[in-house]
Amino acid sequence: MRLSTAAPKIWARGAVTLGIALAAAVTVACAPVQQAAAPGATPATDIFGTPADPAAVQRGGTLTMALSAEPDMLDPTQSRSFYTRYVFHTMCEKLYDLDQNTRIVPQLATALPTVAPDGLTVTIPLRQGVRFADGTPMDAQSVVTTFQRNLTMPGSGRRSELGPITSVEAQGTSTVVVHLSAPFAPLTSVLADRAGMIMSPAALQQLGDKFGSAPVCVGPFKFESRVAQNSIDVVRDPNYYAADRVFLDHITYRIITDASIRAANLQSGDAQVADQLSTQDVPSLRNAKGIQVLDSNSLGYQGITFNVGNTSGLGNAPGHVGTPVADDPRVRQAFELAVDRQALVQTVFGGLYSVACSPVSPDTVYTSEAAQACTPHDPAAARALLQEAGVQMPYPIKMITSNNPDSLRLAQALQALVADGGFNLQIVPVEYSALLDQQDRGDFEMLQLGWSGRIDPDNNITNYLSTGGGQNVAGYSDPALDALLTRARTSTDQAERVRLYGEVVTAIHAADPIVYLYRQRNYTGVTSAVSGVQVFPDGIARIAFAGRTR
Amino acid sequence: MRSYLLHRLWQSAVTLVLATIVVFLGVRALPGDPAAAFAGEERDPASLAAIRERLGLNDTIVVQYGKFVLGALRGDLGTSTRTGIPVSQMIGTGLPVTIELSVLAMLVAIVLGVTTGVVAAVRRGRPAEWFANGLALLGLSVPNFWLGLIAILYLAVGLGLFPASGFVPLGEDPLANLHHLVLPALVLGTGIAAIVMRQTRSAMLESLGADYIRTARAKGASPRAVIGRHALRNSLVVVVTVVGLQLGILISGAVVTERIFGLPGFGKMTIDAVFQRDYPVIQGVVLVTAAAYILINFLVDIAYSLIDPRIRVAGAQT
Repeated sequence: MRLSTAAPKIWARGAVTLGIALAAAVTVACAPVQQAAAPGATPATDIFGTPADPAAVQRGGTLTMALSAEPDMLDPTQSRSFYTRYVFHTMCEKLYDLDQNTRIVPQLATALPTVAPDGLTVTIPLRQGVRFADGTPMDAQSVVTTFQRNLTMPGSGRRSELGPITSVEAQGTSTVVVHLSAPFAPLTSVLADRAGMIMSPAALQQLGDKFGSAPVCVGPFKFESRVAQNSIDVVRDPNYYAADRVFLDHITYRIITDASIRAANLQSGDAQVADQLSTQDVPSLRNAKGIQVLDSNSLGYQGITFNVGNTSGLGNAPGHVGTPVADDPRVRQAFELAVDRQALVQTVFGGLYSVACSPVSPDTVYTSEAAQACTPHDPAAARALLQEAGVQMPYPIKMITSNNPDSLRLAQALQALVADGGFNLQIVPVEYSALLDQQDRGDFEMLQLGWSGRIDPDNNITNYLSTGGGQNVAGYSDPALDALLTRARTSTDQAERVRLYGEVVTAIHAADPIVYLYRQRNYTGVTSAVSGVQVFPDGIARIAFAGRTR
Repeated sequence: MRSYLLHRLWQSAVTLVLATIVVFLGVRALPGDPAAAFAGEERDPASLAAIRERLGLNDTIVVQYGKFVLGALRGDLGTSTRTGIPVSQMIGTGLPVTIELSVLAMLVAIVLGVTTGVVAAVRRGRPAEWFANGLALLGLSVPNFWLGLIAILYLAVGLGLFPASGFVPLGEDPLANLHHLVLPALVLGTGIAAIVMRQTRSAMLESLGADYIRTARAKGASPRAVIGRHALRNSLVVVVTVVGLQLGILISGAVVTERIFGLPGFGKMTIDAVFQRDYPVIQGVVLVTAAAYILINFLVDIAYSLIDPRIRVAGAQT
């Protein structure tokens, strides 16, 4: 009797619970948390954004930018994070900058540097009447102080970038002369990055290595406050030499690491600009009312690095790894033949990124046909090459990769794509910090690695592939390539440099220590509440001269 | 009572020291080099060596621990290796956010959990109980990140009722502060409410079947007095325990909610520090978290002894 009355109750209770669970499931199914990119989408043409029209924007107001990662130290000498450059853009101007065509243009300098015929002396003319945010004047001596700090401070991230500088001197108040021990062509492009940001000597004296806690430079905005892991605020600097071009009063950089939450903030209007939009969000944001997606090719690349000689760690002499993929370039070439880059980009990124076969950005003046030459996808040729190399088929190879969802999706797609070419790719997911350690120690066979990229090819190649290069985790060493790279970086003839980098890429393809796969595109979302936001191929969102739309 | 307090204080101090040692060694056992994590893609052997020297990583473990303890005793927890911001300053800004979020989430959990728990117990076997059980099941099963995303998409983006992310300090604008914290507190509180509801329900069921409730009813006490004054009060010992334990979990476990809503809290700080191998920050937050846990447990024990005098007597005798 008890059973007979309890049973309907249990059923009814179950039905209620099941109903709630089903309602939840339906809500999950309907929720547009992330939308897949439309298949067959092709990379859009570049949309850099346009400068603010003074008639269309108002003076004053705040802009909030959703930033995809937390900047590190706000100290141009010590900073090593790509994302810190976003914040520096508004408060630390450089001697040189880039335009949307990735040409170097003067910023705190008044003209491009004059290089002596022997390439050993570089003269930089400076703007006059410029003041730092603390009101002190910026002159040639300030520039010398910045150079000296970058060259001598322990742990400086700029030392290796600045090349063979022997001394820097001020000539009067408006000219700086840099002396080199050897010609160094990438210097101007280096000065268009953090090494060219001039710091206030007064603030440096006061703060020393804590300069990043309250940085003082020349810029449209000046540092106001920072809440760790959360936000950085800058306010308009009345001392700025072109203050009349600045419309906003205040900019807040809010760190929002999750791409879909960044997109949601853009849609809700809590943020007016969001960087690094996910390729899964781009199609829906492009169709969203009141949102524009800026879009340009990045200077960096993503690729596969093989361990060909890193037996005792980064910085030590290359050794003999002893695996077929390390010893025989034919195995690595077979891997490149097995990769279908177009299918990879289409599958993983909905076709919204670009195929890359080279470390030289096609958007810079250093590009050429040879520099963009690409090995075609040919799985039959890959298998034939593996057979010729006499290795086991399918050839088993382990790849370490970061354990974040995007990297894993890329690895899985790659695994499927190279199987046809005779490779049995095994994925070993590793947490990012552990991955850095493992690659530096040489504890890998193959890894997926990227680089945010610079305009000068030297910055994209020499560190990674020259013998003893600072980031040569592959342990690669080829005296012929070293000689080519040295000639290219010391040449002051642009045409010759273009030709030499073509030869460099040909040499890289012949040995394939790195197989370049794709180039990310910079997708930045901007709402119609602001106007004048621009993003160039260096990926930095230029928001300093934007304004709230009238 | 005094000897009981001293005993608990001594236990707490030993636990705190052990916690710092375990974390100090544990964080160094993690694979990965903090210098490489700091340098990221821009690292080379010379820079890495200089960074290790600056961070004191070339010292022996004992020396590093000694420096940490001496610094902590002076109130100096070091500076973040990544941002250069003093750890005590980071904790000073992060901890109030997490505490405020936790308190609000706990309020949500108590109000929702105790109310539905009491209703489920009093209306046992009726639709109200099934509904409450269904809600509890949902609260336990639905992950915070999903609930957070849905809340943002529908309540912030769709209806524009709340901000999608961000934080305004309480001292700056209390109303805006509350406006920013409503969604995160609801999201974080829902899971805890389910636990509180289940515990309240079972404790209430046990109380309602006890002899003293029958006596109270026989004496003519109103149903409200029987439930509120007699049954619920006796059930609160269990609820206070659960709330105490959950408060500790909240402080260290608000990571997901803080991340989704962009709150500059303690949980987000901890997880980011672990991924970046930011040793000073990890050590600092663990020290403060351990101290908070120990303090909360200590206070819960005191609350026990105030609610139930037998515990005080038993504690004093040990």
